[in-house]
Amino acid sequence: MNRGLMLILIAFANSLRGIRNAATTSSMAILTIAIVLVLAGAASLLVENMAGVLEEFGAELRLTAYLDDTVPPEDQRHLAQTVAAAPGVDRVVFISKEEALRRFERIAGGDELLAGLDENPLPASLEIHLRPEARTAEGIAILDASLDGLPGIDELAHGQEWIEGYARAVALARTAAGTITIVLGLAALLIVANTIRLALYARRDELEILALVGASRTFVRVPFMLEGTIQGLLGGLIALLVVFGAFELVLPQVRTALELVVGRADLRFFSTAESIRLVLSGAGLGLLGSITALVGGRTA
Amino acid sequence: MSATGESPVRMYHVSKSYMAGQYALHDVSLDVSRGEFLFLTGASGAGKTTLLELIFAAEVPSEGQILVLGRNVARLGAGAIPALRRRVGVVFQDFKLLQERTVEENVRLALDVVGTPRREARSRVFAMLKSVGLQHRRFHHPLSLSGGEQQRVALARALVNEPEILLADEPTGNLDPELTIEIMDLIVKASTRGTTVMVATHDHSLIERYGKRVLRLDAGRIAEDVPSAVPSTGAVS
Repeated sequence: MNRGLMLILIAFANSLRGIRNAATTSSMAILTIAIVLVLAGAASLLVENMAGVLEEFGAELRLTAYLDDTVPPEDQRHLAQTVAAAPGVDRVVFISKEEALRRFERIAGGDELLAGLDENPLPASLEIHLRPEARTAEGIAILDASLDGLPGIDELAHGQEWIEGYARAVALARTAAGTITIVLGLAALLIVANTIRLALYARRDELEILALVGASRTFVRVPFMLEGTIQGLLGGLIALLVVFGAFELVLPQVRTALELVVGRADLRFFSTAESIRLVLSGAGLGLLGSITALVGGRTA
Repeated sequence: MSATGESPVRMYHVSKSYMAGQYALHDVSLDVSRGEFLFLTGASGAGKTTLLELIFAAEVPSEGQILVLGRNVARLGAGAIPALRRRVGVVFQDFKLLQERTVEENVRLALDVVGTPRREARSRVFAMLKSVGLQHRRFHHPLSLSGGEQQRVALARALVNEPEILLADEPTGNLDPELTIEIMDLIVKASTRGTTVMVATHDHSLIERYGKRVLRLDAGRIAEDVPSAVPSTGAVS
């Protein structure tokens, strides 16, 4: 075995010894990182799923342009082509008066409601499907403006207010999640740094002896950095398990509620890459905390 | 390894001051030959420990130059100090052993810092512990050992890397007379293998017993430099 590899093994052994010897403070650091990542992970999961629901809404989102009855059928089809060329429009489906009536009867469960009327009161309309990038409040506003005043269009109906409100809620949740993550991350960083600082203090005799026998600064520092990284890694793993457990626990209830409101709900947990990122962010926090402590502390 | 013939420790008009106008060491010039055994003596506060600390680069001189194994300690960068210390073994009165580690692990520390492969380290530690008569205690913890045994462990740690210089600061200060002789014999034995040895002590009986070169310090200055009465590499029975 070469000396470089031996030094790495020794550094690992020393960091594990450090964690074992300071079990209480190490557990505190692991727990702190776990709590931070549980909160940050849960917030991120919530925001991503909210965004996912918004996406699903977007896919279902269509605008309806009700046409003036005075417009002749051939002009109505021409109008459909004009609308299809408008910004953000994916495709346009022309719904004739007859088709509108058939749909109404299908929804109403018969023709009793309109039985007393001499003629079909329902207008022809254009069902406007939007491109994904246009499924935003801004996209709808742009389309609205370009169709405004177009001869033959009586009224343009859409759920812009609802979409705007939901998008605002997602943005707010995203900002809140980001802020919570940063604040808690900083708190965790300080706690890990203090844990490592305590470890440095508790092991000052060892550091003195290591310096006496010719240990390099790297030899002294690396085990502490590994210690922080291992603590962070363990904290990250615990957080992942807790978030997964909580997700599985509340999933059935949330799914039922969402299905009632929006018809369907494809809620998802973190992907493998996202899960690894969560655990690694714990390791990163731990490493950063130990570096902070080492920069401030005295090591050989 | 210092070049053959070159003295491993040379001091030129070295002073060390912690406060303006107050010197722990003042204008000390010194040359210690390879394999030489030197006693540093003097009252408490005479500058014995400061002199040793300057040699293993725990302190930097306020004035003058110190050459240790050919390196100018005053100009040594922080990164170069560990490399120098691997060539200088140090023993203290209070042993400086890690209580939560076994005897073997304490001695191995000096080999671990240079990444000595485990098998080689074990065999070298065993041989070193055998030479100080503690091979049977290698899995014990320091607290279960007597003071003399703990100092033997500290000595084994200082010597396991085969240093060119061994510094001992009151190594027998905490030991009874019998154990003192035991430890001193081991230190003298190291010098017979070519290691330059400097021992700080105020125990005159030791100085008389071994008849080595004596450097007496008084208020930070060299008050007396008495040459060895016996050949520098001779073992003492």
